[in-house]
Amino acid sequence: MVDLALEIRDISKRYAEHVAVRTLSLVVPRGTVYGLLGPNGAGKTTTIRMILNIISPDTGTITVLGKSNRDPAILDRLGYLPEERGLYKKMSVRDVLRFLAELKGVGRKDADRRIDEWLERLTLKTAEKDWGKSKVDELSRGMQQKVQFIGTLLHDPELVILDEPFSGLDPINAQALKDTVVDLRRRGKTVIFSTHLMDNAERLCDAVCIIARGEKVLDGTVTAVKAEYAGRTVAVGLEGGATTAVQAVFHDASLVARVDDNSRYFEVELAPGADAQTLLRRLVDAGAAINRFEKVQPSLHQIFLQRVGATGIEEGMSGHG
Amino acid sequence: MAKLWAVIKREYIERVRTKWFIIVTLFGPVFFAVIMILPGYLSVKGMREARVNSLRIVDATGMGLGERIAMRLAAPQLAVGDVPKLAQVDTVDQAGVAVLEDALVAKVQAKEENGVLILDSATVLRGTARYLGRDAGSVGQVEALEAATRFALLSARAEQAGITAELAESLAKLRVNIDAEKITNEGRGGSGLAGTIFGFGVAFLLYMSIILYGQNILRGVLEEKTTRVAEVVVSSVSPDVLLAGKVIGVGAVGLTQMAVWVGSSVLFWEQRSNVFKALGVNNMPQMSFPTIEPIVAVALVLFFILGYTFYASLFAAVGAMVSSQEEAQQASQPVLMMLVFSIIFVQPVMMNPTGQLAMVMSFLPFSAPIIMPMRMTATPVPPMEIVGSLAGVAVACVAAIWLSARIYRVGLLMYGKRPSVRELVRWVRQA
Repeated sequence: MVDLALEIRDISKRYAEHVAVRTLSLVVPRGTVYGLLGPNGAGKTTTIRMILNIISPDTGTITVLGKSNRDPAILDRLGYLPEERGLYKKMSVRDVLRFLAELKGVGRKDADRRIDEWLERLTLKTAEKDWGKSKVDELSRGMQQKVQFIGTLLHDPELVILDEPFSGLDPINAQALKDTVVDLRRRGKTVIFSTHLMDNAERLCDAVCIIARGEKVLDGTVTAVKAEYAGRTVAVGLEGGATTAVQAVFHDASLVARVDDNSRYFEVELAPGADAQTLLRRLVDAGAAINRFEKVQPSLHQIFLQRVGATGIEEGMSGHG
Repeated sequence: MAKLWAVIKREYIERVRTKWFIIVTLFGPVFFAVIMILPGYLSVKGMREARVNSLRIVDATGMGLGERIAMRLAAPQLAVGDVPKLAQVDTVDQAGVAVLEDALVAKVQAKEENGVLILDSATVLRGTARYLGRDAGSVGQVEALEAATRFALLSARAEQAGITAELAESLAKLRVNIDAEKITNEGRGGSGLAGTIFGFGVAFLLYMSIILYGQNILRGVLEEKTTRVAEVVVSSVSPDVLLAGKVIGVGAVGLTQMAVWVGSSVLFWEQRSNVFKALGVNNMPQMSFPTIEPIVAVALVLFFILGYTFYASLFAAVGAMVSSQEEAQQASQPVLMMLVFSIIFVQPVMMNPTGQLAMVMSFLPFSAPIIMPMRMTATPVPPMEIVGSLAGVAVACVAAIWLSARIYRVGLLMYGKRPSVRELVRWVRQA
């Protein structure tokens, strides 16, 4: 049996007016980077808050690092970066970090050593200036984000949960975050992060789960998910763009389920039962000047659009993302 | 427990470090001391300083009244051993008053003289005199002159009636002073007036502290909510621990402040004769400190802790309900109303601390923490009543904590519109 960092079994959460999460199950093996993908309002934040026992599910069980997540001791082994980030503005950076460490059971001496390491690593403490002594509200937004990362990772958690970690990050901090995630994985930690940015997920994740409207749409390793959808997608390159006759072929519902039109480059998803040879023949008949015709693996972005479609996004339920 | 301690420590240290806290804690006692000393000090100082040196007295009574007034006005200076400066007296006949009056008024206008006191036959017959001066609006100055004139007139008449000057003076100085002393079950309990003043003091101190620190908690909760730091914290500790840590931490700040205040007040009270002497005041108001029975002292501390906890948890719930300072002001109205309602009745209860109103108010859980301590210090209250009232507050306290913890748990992560009462009920149920 695989050693699991997280096992969620059939959890549901209902609010007064809507269902935020509906019988969701998923497993995250230890030592992996796991992406929780979905449009805004899909139930990602609700799921994450349930994992951290901030809110409790109406039904279902959650097992974290082999123990029920209701065990208070388990919280000390988790690191959490919420989507809405903030710190005590009037406290000094060092005091805030000490406090957050103490809440995770890290002793004062240990905390001070780690704080110094992290501040130096993220260039918040240099020969000229030690930002640790400054009050939080004297720091720029980017620096506050760094302090928040440090707070999340200071106690060296085994499982790190990041909710929309890339939102609002400047490119430098985004890169620092990616480096950190890669480093955590190398050190055998498990990272779960939610995002609606598929590029990041595709590059960083070992496995993903796509949820929409509170339900799981698909999950699995990125390789397996992409393999499953391979062969259904054809990349087509045209000299000089598509003529009316060519457009007609792309919009033939018996042949094409979906087309991503980039004017001279098309990603075509074949309709069920249709095959690539027919598409090629029809395009040649329509007089298309083809310079590329290739069966490709779809990007997560396409799989996401294909499976979630417009319907999953339109009912975006704010507040309980 | 370690986490609770971490929260308490943060709440306490962050508050005690603020300039606001240091200023209020250190200058509070100075402020109280000034209130306690100032009236006595000013009245004595005012008389001592009565500007007799630049006062002119025009005496047309023909019986030396002016000299007597001048001596009387200088009496406070004699008492403290200064060389008396006597007011200049011009003895004239009735016709000469008008001439001298005009001349002296001109001098007052030119600021060469401060004022003119004019005594004539009417003073002897009807006890009326006139004062013309730049400070004629000063009640203190006019009262000092009236008292001196009355004294001079009284002793002059007594002498006319054949009583010796010494006897006349002692008659004129006759004063009555009733020293009211409270009798309790345990015996004599110090000055009744002091008990009343002390009772008022205790009630207001409790009221002020509960309002100050209750709202302080509200602001703290709101800050954690608006800066979104709450979510990070509750991923490490349960909201209940966070709430408890906050209430205890801020309460400890309040107790610290009170300890400093009470300690310095007691110190001042014990040293009051030295303080008055240092200010050059000898005859300070006579008052004995009310004796506080041990059960009352313990009950006072308990009432503060329970009353504070009751209101603090309600204020915390309000803080968790709202998303902005403006909303907080509105939403905290009901809680504030309970406090204001209690303080409105302080005076009527004080007037009759054993009446029905006092009884009811000292058992209603929300007003008991303010009214009962006041009653206890002003008048003896049977221990059973104190225990009963405390028990009532304790029960209300548990209910308030239970309710607030539930609202707090849900509200802490809710943003946007303030919940309606119906939504609140649902929060309490689902938490």
